[in-house]
Amino acid sequence: MITTTTLYDRFIDLYKENETSREEGWLKNLRDTAFEAFATEGFPHIKMEDWRFTNVTPFLKENYHLQPRRAASLHGRHNAAQIPSLDAYEVVLKNGMLNEDIAIPGVKISPLRTALQNSNFQHYLGKYIPIHKHPFAALNTAFFEHGIVIEVDKKAICDKPVHITHVYNAEEPVFVQPRILIIAHPGSKVEIVESLVVIGDKPLFINSVSECYIGENARADQYNLQIAPVNTHIVNFKQTIQQSNSLYNNHTYNLPEASLIRNNLHLDLNGVNTESHLYGLYLPGGTQLTDNHTVVNHLFPNCFSNELYKGVLRDSSRGVFSGRIYVHQDAQKTNAFQQNNNILFSDNATIDSKPQLEIFADDVKCSHGSTVGSLNKEALFYLRSRGIGEAAARNLLVRAFAFDVTDKIQIPAVKDYIEQVIIHKMEETHHEQ
Amino acid sequence: MAKNSAEIIEEYSDKEYEYGFVTDIEMDVVPKGLNEDTIHLISAKKNEPQWLLEWRLKAYQSFLKQPEPHWQNFELPKIDFQDISYYAAPRQKEKLKDMDEVDPELIATFEKLGIPLSEQKVLAGVAVDAVFDSVSVATTFQKTLKEHGIIFSSVSKAVQEYPELVQKYLGSVVPYSDNMFAALNGAVFSDGSFVYIPKGVRCPMELSTYFRINAGNTGQFERTLIIADEGSYVSYLEGCTAPKRDENQMHAAVVELIAHENAEIKYSTVQNWFPGNKDGTGGIYNFVTKRGICKGNNAKISWTQVETGSAITWKYPSVILQGDNSTGEFYSVAVTKNKQIADTGTKMIHMGKNTKSRIISKGISAGEGQNSYRGQVKVGTKAENARNFTQCDSLLIGDRCGAHTFPYIESKNRSATIEHEATTSKIGEDQIFYLNQRGIDTEKAVALIVNGYAKEVLNHLPMEFAVEAQKLLSITLEGSVG
Repeated sequence: MITTTTLYDRFIDLYKENETSREEGWLKNLRDTAFEAFATEGFPHIKMEDWRFTNVTPFLKENYHLQPRRAASLHGRHNAAQIPSLDAYEVVLKNGMLNEDIAIPGVKISPLRTALQNSNFQHYLGKYIPIHKHPFAALNTAFFEHGIVIEVDKKAICDKPVHITHVYNAEEPVFVQPRILIIAHPGSKVEIVESLVVIGDKPLFINSVSECYIGENARADQYNLQIAPVNTHIVNFKQTIQQSNSLYNNHTYNLPEASLIRNNLHLDLNGVNTESHLYGLYLPGGTQLTDNHTVVNHLFPNCFSNELYKGVLRDSSRGVFSGRIYVHQDAQKTNAFQQNNNILFSDNATIDSKPQLEIFADDVKCSHGSTVGSLNKEALFYLRSRGIGEAAARNLLVRAFAFDVTDKIQIPAVKDYIEQVIIHKMEETHHEQ
Repeated sequence: MAKNSAEIIEEYSDKEYEYGFVTDIEMDVVPKGLNEDTIHLISAKKNEPQWLLEWRLKAYQSFLKQPEPHWQNFELPKIDFQDISYYAAPRQKEKLKDMDEVDPELIATFEKLGIPLSEQKVLAGVAVDAVFDSVSVATTFQKTLKEHGIIFSSVSKAVQEYPELVQKYLGSVVPYSDNMFAALNGAVFSDGSFVYIPKGVRCPMELSTYFRINAGNTGQFERTLIIADEGSYVSYLEGCTAPKRDENQMHAAVVELIAHENAEIKYSTVQNWFPGNKDGTGGIYNFVTKRGICKGNNAKISWTQVETGSAITWKYPSVILQGDNSTGEFYSVAVTKNKQIADTGTKMIHMGKNTKSRIISKGISAGEGQNSYRGQVKVGTKAENARNFTQCDSLLIGDRCGAHTFPYIESKNRSATIEHEATTSKIGEDQIFYLNQRGIDTEKAVALIVNGYAKEVLNHLPMEFAVEAQKLLSITLEGSVG
């Protein structure tokens, strides 16, 4: 199929074509509003403050298939995603699709389609996402077809992590829009690990949205391991809502080689006494562009949030970090911290860091810090004078730098896996003097 | 006698501007409105050469094309550019020979403001180029400056006497196309100060000027141009208070600094314009474009500012570090109370090798004041070993104010080291308790803590200003309890 129309036009047409086959009721309204928002805004461009450093236009030129076909050939070929010795409940999504319900004690995992038919997620789905400001999230909301719903019962403790492997078939250029909804009911506990497998080497654009609702006294840990081939472009919007006394840990790893990784992580603290930790590590190489935008919204008093993002930028890669802490007037006694450290490992690497504080309450302790530098010369000298080679010394220092983040991983198998990836990638890296 | 916190807060938040008064002098005012005729009129009144008129007209064309900025962290009030009179000059019947001939009312005004204008009152080392609504009325210490070959005059005078210098540097750091307000200034700038320090000269005194907005409805469009030639040094002070007015007045000034090889420019500002009353009506809009360039190697530019006035302060004194080993500094204290808004900070653009920059910003928000730090540190690919340190702290007093930080850190060089840190907190109850315990009442304790908090910046002000700045801080913040 050769066409000269833009991706934007194709989405507009597609929405109109599907007019008749669409659901009724609240979901239709949700989609219509989202579509309006996308149609008005279009794809983001660098004149938009949030996209100043990330130009997505080149990634949208491809002639993508907008509705991926069911890929039967995927069966049995996703072993590459396996994290060695990870003991978890395995969930495999093929091109965003789950074939059947999966029952785990205390946890119900169902395909999004059937879940939407059986129960009403009106009070969850798309409820908090500011679609008017985020065209990609609006696009996903207007078009999503597949995905999963994970519901953790009240007071249920999920004994093992839930490992979601996203398998995509990129034997032809595809634009996929998966959707994940996680609901941890009050008093429950769940750990979710997400990883990626891409088959084929054609361009793949993943525009995913996931929402996570954490009830009172509940705890949720999310691990997002973004490791994919060079032709993969990832735009991910994650919205998390925390109720009183809940705990949330997010671990985001931007690993090689996907040419574009853009994450939006939005956290609304919707109750008192919550605790949240956001950890991130980005290790771009080649001409990779990784971009992490986080927003922590302190809406209620006595909440604690802590954010630590670190990056090692190699080759001609680019890194973007934008973190925002927003403390509303009622959110007294807030403690909010944010830190972003970067190492430029190569002469051609670039970093744009934008930590921000917006504070409207006075009885708070908030701080942010951001640094950009290269490896410490004294530390290098120290190691070299003890007989460690230049490259090995550098790798050691990078591992030590990353340790602050990797050390926070609570699942040993995931931790080992990530550390191995870092070691492996650093060994491949070209070292400039 | 110690007051309770509620009383103190109330008293404090009701505190209004102490320097509001209007001087009754006949003014020569151009009719309201902005068009090419206005620009021709201003240019003709000042007897300007053709190139300057053309430059103004180009700036005006650029102004028409530029959209209003919308990235700032506040609602930009609708400004009717046709409702402003673009030129006002005190009417003088004949040229003045000495101080006795200056309008006594004018002198009285300056004295109320504490400006030592008359020679006896000029303490050693301060030459005052008093700008009273756009036209210089008196200049002192010209003789000493002349001996050193230093040019310190109004821009309009410099245009007549040193046209080639002005033409060479005017708009070279802040081109009229830079932003809407810079374009407006380029089109209609009335006057300002011009300083040229020749090679190897260390200016023997602090140069100072006081800007004042006096005629109602007259936006003031000052243009300051300071050139420090190779190996020279100058310290320049700018201070302002403005009389009380009910209508908003806009101030869109442009300041350009050029430091050649081994030269150093120190630019200090104390700004205490009318901030509006406690309901937020009236007050000055202070939209200023300030930028310096370290053109040669080893040059240094240092900005120090104490911002306590204006309804809206919106400015980012910046340094372009072009020469190798050049240094840029920015020290700022910004206080907002009642409904004041400050969106201020700096830009440090590292281009040369071994360039250094240091940013210390202290924001204090009280009442319903909103205080934003917005800064950019940019390191280009050729800026080997560039170094930046940034610290921006915010102090919150009262639960209806806001403090915001928006730094942009962009590095394209591996050898660059950039550090940024920011904190936000209120005055600790334990700190106040500690001082109370030692017999210091809450009111004084707060003043003490705030002064200590701002000390790092105040220390960088020249002596004369440091005293005024400290007084200003105490007046603004005494009796405020977090």
